[in-house]
Amino acid sequence: MIALPSLVLLPAAGGLAAWLSDRGPPARHLPWWIAIATILSQTLLLLFVTCTAGWSSGPWLAHFSMPWIPALGIAARMDMDGLSLVLLWLTTILSFPCVILSARDVGERPGLFHLLLLATIAGINGVFLATDLFLFFFFWELMLVPMYVLILQWGHEDRRRAAIKFFLFTQGSGLLMLVAILGLVILHQHATGVVTFDYFALADTPLMPTAAMVLMLGFFIAFAVKLPVVPLHVWLPDTHTQAPTAGSVLLAGILLKTGGYGLIRFVVLQFPDATARFTPVALAMGAAGILYGAWLSLAQDDMKRLIAYSSVSHLGFVLLGVFSGSAMGMRGAVVQMVAHGLSTGALFVIAGSLQDRLHTRDMRRMGGLWQALPHLSSIGLFFAIASLGLPGMGNFVGEFLVLLATWRISPPIAILGAAGLVLSAVYSLTMVGRAFLGSPHAGQDTDQTPPPADFGARQMTVLGLTMALLLVLGTYPQPVLDLSLPATPHAAPEMEAIHP
Amino acid sequence: MTALLPGLPPALPILGGGIALLMLCIAWHRSETRAILIALTTLVLAFASLWLPVLPWPGDPTGMLFVPDGWFTYIAALMLLSSAASVIMAWREAGTPADEFYLLLLLGTLGALVMAGSMDMVIFFLGLETLSLSLLGLIAYHRTQPTADEAAIKYLILAGLSSAILLFGLALSYADSGSLRFAAPSRSGSESPALPLAATALVLTGLFFKLSAVPFHTWLPDVMEGAPIPVASFIAVTSKIALFSALARYFAGADLLRPDAVGAELAIVAMLSMFGGNLLALGQVNLKRLLAGSSIAHVGYLLLALLSPGPFGMASAAFYLAAYAAATSGAFAAMRGASGLSDIGAWRGMFHRRPALALAMVVMLVSLAGIPPAIGFFAKTYIVIAGVSARRIVLLGALVASSIIGLYYYLNVVRAMMEPVPEVPRAVRGTTANAALITALAIVTVLAGLFPETLVRQTRSLLQPTPILHEAGLGPVAAHDMLYRE
Repeated sequence: MIALPSLVLLPAAGGLAAWLSDRGPPARHLPWWIAIATILSQTLLLLFVTCTAGWSSGPWLAHFSMPWIPALGIAARMDMDGLSLVLLWLTTILSFPCVILSARDVGERPGLFHLLLLATIAGINGVFLATDLFLFFFFWELMLVPMYVLILQWGHEDRRRAAIKFFLFTQGSGLLMLVAILGLVILHQHATGVVTFDYFALADTPLMPTAAMVLMLGFFIAFAVKLPVVPLHVWLPDTHTQAPTAGSVLLAGILLKTGGYGLIRFVVLQFPDATARFTPVALAMGAAGILYGAWLSLAQDDMKRLIAYSSVSHLGFVLLGVFSGSAMGMRGAVVQMVAHGLSTGALFVIAGSLQDRLHTRDMRRMGGLWQALPHLSSIGLFFAIASLGLPGMGNFVGEFLVLLATWRISPPIAILGAAGLVLSAVYSLTMVGRAFLGSPHAGQDTDQTPPPADFGARQMTVLGLTMALLLVLGTYPQPVLDLSLPATPHAAPEMEAIHP
Repeated sequence: MTALLPGLPPALPILGGGIALLMLCIAWHRSETRAILIALTTLVLAFASLWLPVLPWPGDPTGMLFVPDGWFTYIAALMLLSSAASVIMAWREAGTPADEFYLLLLLGTLGALVMAGSMDMVIFFLGLETLSLSLLGLIAYHRTQPTADEAAIKYLILAGLSSAILLFGLALSYADSGSLRFAAPSRSGSESPALPLAATALVLTGLFFKLSAVPFHTWLPDVMEGAPIPVASFIAVTSKIALFSALARYFAGADLLRPDAVGAELAIVAMLSMFGGNLLALGQVNLKRLLAGSSIAHVGYLLLALLSPGPFGMASAAFYLAAYAAATSGAFAAMRGASGLSDIGAWRGMFHRRPALALAMVVMLVSLAGIPPAIGFFAKTYIVIAGVSARRIVLLGALVASSIIGLYYYLNVVRAMMEPVPEVPRAVRGTTANAALITALAIVTVLAGLFPETLVRQTRSLLQPTPILHEAGLGPVAAHDMLYRE
C-alpha cells in the first residue's frame, strides 16, 4: 500500500517545508510548528497503517513495491511486519520529545535544523521498512549525512572531532556491508542466473558455509558499529556527548535501534546457519559490552557521557537476546530496544535541559538540584531507576527475558550479564545522588543568579507520557511481545498482495 | 555531409568547421560574445549530430580509422557536454583577449573526440597531440601569472616526455604485429614474447602519464592549481574521459584476467591511484589541488571497473564517468561562482554568505564521496557490483579503505563551509550563465542519483570487443543479454 513510502516521504516533505519557511526572526517558530504538524500527521499516518494492516494474512502486515532500477533488479520494495511496526512506533513517539522539547529554542537557522531532524527520521523509517537490499542501504546511508550536519552545526565544544568520528565509523562499516550485499547478490546470480536485490529472494540463496560466514560478518560489523558492540563502540561516547540534545535523543533513542533491527532482520534471519556458528563470539561480545559499558559509566563525571556508556551496557543485552537463538530472547531484545529508546531518550532530554540551565554537564558542579528544580529532578529519578531495570518498567521485562533466554544456552554469560545489572544500579543511583540530591555545590552562587527555571507544562506533558508508556510496557508488555517476533523471509508475502 | 565521409562520425567535421569559422571571425573582428556563441553552437550541433546515422564503411573493415560505435557516441556526448560546461565557466573569466581561449577549448575537444573514436594508432596519436597542444595553450593562458607559466612548463615537459614514450610503444607494437590497429598486442603467435610486452608497457606508461594515474601523477596538482578554473575542469573531466576511453578501447579485445596479460600491473596502478590520490587530497588546503587528488583517486576506481570483465565492468565504468563528469564540473563551476576562490579557508562560512552556492557545492562533494542521494552513490555501488562479480577482492578492499579517507577530506570542505565567520565583504558573483550551469548540474546530480535507471540502460554493453579480433563475436554481449532477460 502507498502508505509505506508515505512514511518516508512525509517527514522529508515536512522537513523541506520547514526549511523553506525559515524567513528570519518575525516568524522564528514557524519551522517548529511545521515540524510539529509533520510529526502529528506522521502519527496519524502510522495509526492508519496500523489499522489497515493485513493482520489476518500472515506475519507480513503491509507491502509496497514498484520498479526502481529494473536493469539491475532493484525495486523500491517495502514490507512491514510486527517488528517494523513496533520500531516505527518508537520512532514516531520519540520524535515528539525531539521536536517539542529540544528543537524549539535552537539558536540560529531553525529551518535547516528541522529539515535535518526530519530527514534523519525519514531515513530511519525507510530503514525499518525496506526489503530491497539496495533500498535498505540507500536509507542506511541517507540517515547519516543529516545527523553529521546536526552534530557539526549545533553540537557542543568538541563537535568537529565527534562528528567526523561518527561519520567515518558508520560510513566505513556501511561500505563493508555494501560489499557483503553485493557479494550475496552475485552469489545468488551465480546460483539462479537472476540479478535481484530482493530480500526474500536473496534469503533463499544456497550458500557455502565459508561464504555465508564472510557475508554474515560484513553485515554484522556494520550493525555492530551502530548498536554498538564493544570493540566497535569508540565513536559513541564522543558523538552522544557532543551532539545537540535533539541529536542525542535521536541517536540513542532510534538510530542505535537500526543496528539491532539490522542484526535481527539481515543477520539472524538471513544467515541462520552462520549465525548459529557465530553465537559464542557474539554472546561473549554482548557480555563484554554490558560489563565494560557499566564499568566506564561508573567513572564518568560528564552526565551525557555517563548516559552514553550506559547505552553501551544496555544494548549489550540486545546483542545477547538477538543471538540467544530463541523466540524469548528475541522478544526480550525488542522490548529492551523499545524501553531503552524511551528511557535513554528521556535521560538525554534531562541532561540537555540541565546543560541549558546550568551550562555544564559536569556532575561535580551540580548537586542539590532537587530544591531548585523539583519537577526536573523527580523525572530524572524516575528515568534513572527505569534505566537500571526496576521491575514494573519496560527495561526490566526486556532484561529479564534476555537473561532467561541466555541462561538456557550459556549460564556463565547470563551470570556476567546479571552482574552488569548490579553495576547499572550503582551508576544510575550515583548519578541521581550526585546531580539531584546532596547539598548544593559550593561553587554554585545561587544568591547572585536567579534560580534556573523548572520544567514547565510542555516538558511535563511529553515526559509524563513517556513515563506512562514505560510503565505500560513494564506492566502489560504482551502487545509488544506479540508483535516483536520478526517474520521470516522464507514466508514471503503473497505476490498478489505486493502490488498496491 | 555524412554521404561524403563514410565511417566518419559527423561530429568531427562539425567541430572542425566550427573551429575554422571561429578562427576566421577572430581574424576579422574580435568579440568575446560572438566567440562563445560560436563555440557553444558548435558543441551543441556536434552533440545533436551524434544521433545522425554514420554511413557504413564500404571496404575492408581492417582499413577503418574510426569506430562510431555506442561507446564512442556515449563518450563523445559526455565530452561535448563537459566541454560546454568549461566554455560556460570561461565566460568573462578568461581575461582579454579571450577569443582564442574558446578556440583552444574547441580544438582540445576535437582532439578528445578523435581519441575516443580512433581504431588506428596514427589517428589516436593525432588526437592525443591535438588535445595536449591545445591544453598547453589553455594552461598558460594567463601568461602574466608566474603560476600559469610554471604549470605550463611542467605540463609541456611531462606531456612531451610521455608522448615520446607512448610513440615508442606504438612503434614497437607495429614492429611486432605489423598492424596499426590501436589494441593491446597479443602475446601468442609473436616471435619474441618480450616485444609485445615492452610495447604494452610503454603505451601504458604514456597513457598513465596523461591520465595521471599513480605513480605518474605528480604533475597534475601543480598544473591544475596554476591553470584557470575552466581549464582545470577541462583537464580533470574532458581530457580524463578521453584518455580513459582510449585505455578501455586499447584493452577491449584483451582478456585482462589471463595470467600473461598485464592485469596484475593494472591492478597495482589502480590501488596506488586510489590510495595515492586520496592521501594526496587529504592534506590540501587548496580546493583545486584537492580536486586533483580526488580525480586521481577516481581514476583508480575506474581502473577497478576496467579490470572487472563481465556484464557490469564497462557498463559501470561508463556510468561512473557520467557521475564523475557531472560532479567534478559542478565543483569547478561552484568555484568559479565563488569568483575563483580556491583556498579552502576562503570557503569558510560560505553557507552563511552564499547558501545556494554552498548547497550546490555540498551536492557535488557528496556525489564525489559517494553518499546518497547524489549520483556518485549509485555510480560507486555499480563499480562495486562489477568488482564483486569479477571477484576483485583485494581491489575492493582498497576501494573501501581509500573511500573512507576520501570522505574525510570531502566532509572537511563541507565543515569549513558551515563554520560561522565574521561577515566579510561580499565577493563578486559569477555570471548568470555559470549560476545556471551550477543549478543544472546540481539538479542532474541529485535526480540521476534518485532515478539512475535511464542512464543504466544507456550504458549497457556499449564497448564491444573489436569485431576483427573476435570473429565469433558473441562473447560477453550474449551473456549480458541473457543476464538481463526479464
